[in-house]
Amino acid sequence: MTIAPVKNNIQSIIRACRLIMKMNKTRPDARKSEELYYEMLIKYFTRLLNSRKNGDFVAAHTVFFPAEIIYAMGLVPMHTETTTWMISLFTGECADILEAGASLGLASEICTPHRGLAGAFATGTIPYPDAMLWSNMVCDNTAKSGELIMKITKCPGFFLDHPFKNTEHEMKYLVSELGDMVSFLEAESGRKMDWDKLAEIVARTDRQIQLMREINELRQAVPTPFHPQGFLELISVDYLYPGQPEAIEYLETLREELSDMVRQGKGAVQTERFRLMSFFLPPMYLMGFMESISQEYGAVSVTEPFFTYWGEGRLDPGKPLESVARKSYMIPEMRMYGPMDERALDSIVECAKQYKIDGAIYYADVGCRHTCAMIKLFKDTLSNIDVPVLTLDCDVVDPTITSREEVREKLERFFELLEDR
Amino acid sequence: MKALGIDIGSLTTKVVILDNGTTLSATVTPSGENAELATREATQQALDEAGLSFDDDLYIVSTGAGGKSISFNRQQRAITTCLARGAFYLHSTTRMLIDMGAESSTIVKINERGRVSDWATHDKCAAGTGLFLQQMAKLMQIPMTEMTELSLKAKAKADISSTCAVFAESEVISHVHRDPPTPKEDIVAGINYSVVSRIKALCKRVGIARDVLVTGGVALNGGLIDILEKELGFSVSVPETPQIVAALGAAILARENIEKGKQ
Repeated sequence: MTIAPVKNNIQSIIRACRLIMKMNKTRPDARKSEELYYEMLIKYFTRLLNSRKNGDFVAAHTVFFPAEIIYAMGLVPMHTETTTWMISLFTGECADILEAGASLGLASEICTPHRGLAGAFATGTIPYPDAMLWSNMVCDNTAKSGELIMKITKCPGFFLDHPFKNTEHEMKYLVSELGDMVSFLEAESGRKMDWDKLAEIVARTDRQIQLMREINELRQAVPTPFHPQGFLELISVDYLYPGQPEAIEYLETLREELSDMVRQGKGAVQTERFRLMSFFLPPMYLMGFMESISQEYGAVSVTEPFFTYWGEGRLDPGKPLESVARKSYMIPEMRMYGPMDERALDSIVECAKQYKIDGAIYYADVGCRHTCAMIKLFKDTLSNIDVPVLTLDCDVVDPTITSREEVREKLERFFELLEDR
Repeated sequence: MKALGIDIGSLTTKVVILDNGTTLSATVTPSGENAELATREATQQALDEAGLSFDDDLYIVSTGAGGKSISFNRQQRAITTCLARGAFYLHSTTRMLIDMGAESSTIVKINERGRVSDWATHDKCAAGTGLFLQQMAKLMQIPMTEMTELSLKAKAKADISSTCAVFAESEVISHVHRDPPTPKEDIVAGINYSVVSRIKALCKRVGIARDVLVTGGVALNGGLIDILEKELGFSVSVPETPQIVAALGAAILARENIEKGKQ
């Protein structure tokens, strides 16, 4: 089987970000934090693009993986799922890489960020990593994806066995696993772990989490100051730049901007009509449209319990590896992807009340078993407190699943339902 | 001012004209390729029946698949909102509406004020829709109107896949050509059952609630309604003209707007 190389998707992301930055310069309402955000994306993907030329060691890793360790060792991280959805977000489609993924034998039911990723590696449209790091923190797709990427790119890999529960014994086990991973990376990259640097990064990650909490508090204001799909910026920063100075600068700038807006009573949309809770990711290829329909109807996502709603707890730079392990249980997503219990349901109810939501949108990604398995449970939980939920069947990167017209029609029906109540 | 509701479906266009709570006319006509023209003609027919004309003072609310494609309406509303209003107007105890149209099926959960509290739509596959039934009737060379009688006479039901309209067609063909062939009645009952199983799954998605009103052209298939009642375990209501409920709801919304003085 031969798969012809197509284009360089990383270059496409960088070009799109540069273009957005250029366009933003003409917008009087463009935020400084927005500029920082796109600069961060350009820097992240440029570093990846030039990694071969610069002799860098690229460590690809799956979602929620503790990238703090990669940064502390001076390696170049490559967040695999985010790379795929950013290809969709910035280039508008993923047909070529999804097709290439299908040529590898991956069925259409397989999660598209993973299927597309395999296709992107197979077609050489994203750079090969020097090592693959993956874990069982999310789903079976993630766990298998790591093995597949190793096979395609012929790179070595390390599987981080993340314990399901969070007890003292399991925490110790996770710390030892992280230690093994550090040894693996040292052996493969020839670089030593800089423990002082890891401590600095952990201190910044702790600050980052604090800033996220402060930003979330500001988002509770009526009208809410952050733009309708702003949470994508927050999760991207956490996924791509954990504990990095760039993330702190972005979050501090954003916090100041949002504080100003709250002080002035300014909202992100002209007339805020619907305050929404979002579950999971909207279709990336429709983000421009999602933003414009949100503005048109005055609908804003004000809270995302499993993306931005950080739980309690602090990190201790004096115990960097333990802190990295602890963070993996503190991330908002782990309320759902970990051992799901009342914490997940309680957080939904807490968020609904704190953020005064009118309704919730559940982006039911057809390729995600985990996401779709929760629909009824979350919907019933919100229904008990009289919050309507729209289940929007879609795919995060594949535009053939749901068209813009279908999404528009369903959103319009939902907004009408909210208004008519 | 007269309140006029138009539901522009993929197969038929329904028009209802209300005046002070009285239905002046309710028509069902085929939808045309040119939505604007066909809907204008359908509206003209309804106006003629009511003894009115386009020159009269009308408040028009449109809905349905083609609801956005006409220029002479004052407002366009979601089909779910219109179905809920129409159903609540007919039976105020309705808490769940099952609308089975030509190309899609919609379940609407209705609260005690007649407002939509949730809904689910089956619109990804023809299985479970009116067009699927039409196609099956054509395949079996029986008129649609006979499906009720045949289904009610069935002694058993043939197994027909409920997952895909295309595969279901092959299954029906194999039942027809079996030696001995599966009785026609049983095949029709099997077809109806496959639609009902889809609908029931959709109902469960939003949570089954009584009373249930069944609307849309498929509701005219008594055999299917009989199976639906057996599957749900209770009786459902079917209005006299089940196709017009969304148009009726649109007319009610038009009347509400007139009362509120909305333009």
